[in-house]
Amino acid sequence: MGSTTQAMASLFDHYAGVGFDEMFSAPGVPRPHYAAMFERLARLSPEELERRHKVADLSMRHQGITFTVYGRDQGVERIIPFDPIPRLVSADEWQLIERGLKQRVRALNLFIHDIYHDRLILKDRVVPADLVVGASGYRREVVGLQVPKDIYVHVSGIDLIRDVDGSYLVLEDNCRTPSGVSYVLKNRQVMKQVFPSMFVRHNVRPIDDYTSDLLAVLRHIAPAGCEDPTIAVLTPGSYNSAYYEHSFLARKMGVELVEGRDLTLDRGQIFMRTTRGLQRVDVIYRRVDDDFLDPLCFRRDSSLGVAGLMGAFRAGNVGLANGVGTGVADDKGIYPFVPEIIRYYLNEDPILRNVETFRPLIPSHKSHILNNLESLVVKAVDSSGGYGMLIGPASTAAEREEFARKIEENPRGYIGQPTISLSQHPTFIDDRIEGRHVDLRPFVLYGDEIKVLPGGLTRVALPKGSLVVNSSQGGGTKDTWVLQGEAPEALRGEEHV
Amino acid sequence: MLSRVAENLYWMSRYVERAESVARLLDAAFYLELDAAGLARDDDGRGPVEGILSILNCRTSFEALHPVADRDAVLRYLTFDRKNSQSIHSMIGRARENARGTQEAISAEVWSEINRLYLYLGGAKAQRRFSSSPSGFFASIRKACVLWSGLVDGTLARDEVFHFLQAGRYLERADQVGRILRAKSHHLHDPEPGPGVSLRPVHWSSLLRSCSAYDAYLRTYRERVDPEGVVRYLVLDADFPRAMRFCVARCRESLHEISGGDDDGYGSEAERLLGRLDGELRYIDVSEIFDRGLPRFLAGVQETCLRVGEEFHKAYFST
Repeated sequence: MGSTTQAMASLFDHYAGVGFDEMFSAPGVPRPHYAAMFERLARLSPEELERRHKVADLSMRHQGITFTVYGRDQGVERIIPFDPIPRLVSADEWQLIERGLKQRVRALNLFIHDIYHDRLILKDRVVPADLVVGASGYRREVVGLQVPKDIYVHVSGIDLIRDVDGSYLVLEDNCRTPSGVSYVLKNRQVMKQVFPSMFVRHNVRPIDDYTSDLLAVLRHIAPAGCEDPTIAVLTPGSYNSAYYEHSFLARKMGVELVEGRDLTLDRGQIFMRTTRGLQRVDVIYRRVDDDFLDPLCFRRDSSLGVAGLMGAFRAGNVGLANGVGTGVADDKGIYPFVPEIIRYYLNEDPILRNVETFRPLIPSHKSHILNNLESLVVKAVDSSGGYGMLIGPASTAAEREEFARKIEENPRGYIGQPTISLSQHPTFIDDRIEGRHVDLRPFVLYGDEIKVLPGGLTRVALPKGSLVVNSSQGGGTKDTWVLQGEAPEALRGEEHV
Repeated sequence: MLSRVAENLYWMSRYVERAESVARLLDAAFYLELDAAGLARDDDGRGPVEGILSILNCRTSFEALHPVADRDAVLRYLTFDRKNSQSIHSMIGRARENARGTQEAISAEVWSEINRLYLYLGGAKAQRRFSSSPSGFFASIRKACVLWSGLVDGTLARDEVFHFLQAGRYLERADQVGRILRAKSHHLHDPEPGPGVSLRPVHWSSLLRSCSAYDAYLRTYRERVDPEGVVRYLVLDADFPRAMRFCVARCRESLHEISGGDDDGYGSEAERLLGRLDGELRYIDVSEIFDRGLPRFLAGVQETCLRVGEEFHKAYFST
């Protein structure tokens, strides 16, 4: 036991609690569902943790689990840093998250259907009409268009954070083409290979069903009368930053991965060019943005899509996931209305709260934002990936001035939110464990029913004190374990790693 | 299968096969230089390693960069230089790009191995290994390529994916054997056609080594290495996996699987051309090859390989 205590002392030596900590309820006191993990970690020496961490990195690199970084070093492939200490979610917490996500996605889907059809929510003035039609994700081309089974948001990733009191808040909705699920599945695989001992005594819910569930969702939206649909994943190509994921999903579903140039339109149907001539495609899981989907309908200079695809979609000859025009629900100008949207369509109170949000369109909100730029976070409504935002406490006077000017010029284009500190989680940094901020992106599938993948992408901001978890900005990931049943028992001294 | 994917697969295995061939050529040449350096010079005073530049058609581009050739520069140019499209690193880089674009068609093992080899070639470990022992380094490249082929054999179903890979692999291999034989037989300026000419056995042994055929040859013929025997073995043997006839037969089988034609006929022009070549290699006698002139015969075979590639492209990649 002596060496155990020593190791525990050294690994957690410099651990400092800031805000809400996922593992500890008080310094040195783990929460019940983390107790076994805490002891398990304490038995690993820093060298052992470091060695296995390297094995995990190498394994990811060899498997080509990389993303492409744009900008400075063009086309450089990187692996997303992987932190070996898993994030645990207790069964009770997960139950709440799952119910909340199902509720939210169901309401958002109804909202999207409504705004492209009857527009009741606009007529009832629950959401301002000009906000909706002014959203950059709004597509007037799909007004009145019938989509299979009235489903728009087949795949979504809803970003959650935790407040200082530990309650889960929704930070943003991703209803277009959220990525990251391949990392969720791969992280688990690598954890099992490299740290099998950590799983001992933890009843971790499996996540392997995701791709077969996704396939079921895609089959669900096949054109009427199509018994055995041919399904394809549409990627912008191997230079896209999420190419690995596109390829991974196609492989795990056993369907073709196509690029726009592989597809062609013939008499209203979509076909792919194969070695045996043209073959009809019935459902497309597209990972190409709306704008690039069809040069006849959207951006004419796009070579990533298929000319005539929207025509085939309109005629019901091909199923598309996600639907076109779902980006309106991702707009941060719409975000503050989501609680009202839930109440309006479902007649229920929202289970997951939003982050308090100020809208410069409202004069009192605008002055509040402008007077408190130093403490608020300001975001462009159509931005994602951690770009186009001002984090007040970390900003310079020049940056604040710039944002103040932008807000005056374009009040529709921005929102302000209090700076949420984000929960922190023990993370392996340079041979010891320190607290780093995390968020959580669970994935939701909408087909025959709504299913939430029991897990998700835990993103961790690796620089000390940083609140930006995006992989493009130095974020890493962790495996996320949703636990089943009671909290795992703590280990006894005699067991070995 | 998607035409784009089929084309990627076909070229992927051609590139790997070519990289393996370059590694083998360099290794055999390096070995020869150490073993019998004085004897190995050709008329221009070039050693065997430098001679590889001619086989791979990149002497001009090399000389533009390196006015004074030395062995190390040649080895590095053909191994690591990404500006040289024929270098091992370039070839594996392209194979890896193709694999990256077709990951969903191949197995995770096949992708991971080519990716690993690519990352290895760009890393410091490969440089260290090369510096300490070129021979050991080339052996590691060859091993990785053979492992890759083994993973193709061992992890892929015998469907179109596999056969496009096979077709590329064996067409490239037949072409490489022809290229090496041509260069070396020309290099030895075979004066009189026909058996009995005095060719230096060490070169023929080296030629066999360039095709990983030395031991197999000795096991089969159990006699001294002579030109007739070598040509019979490398061109006409039915069982040795680097013999032209073997390669042509395997390529033809895969083409047949792809076209799905019946047993008697042929499904594409590429298949017809290969079938004819297969017949010729099956029934020609080695003395007839020497009567016709070895270089001329080999040029004819290579011409056919080239046309097969073109026809293949027309039939499957340009839907």
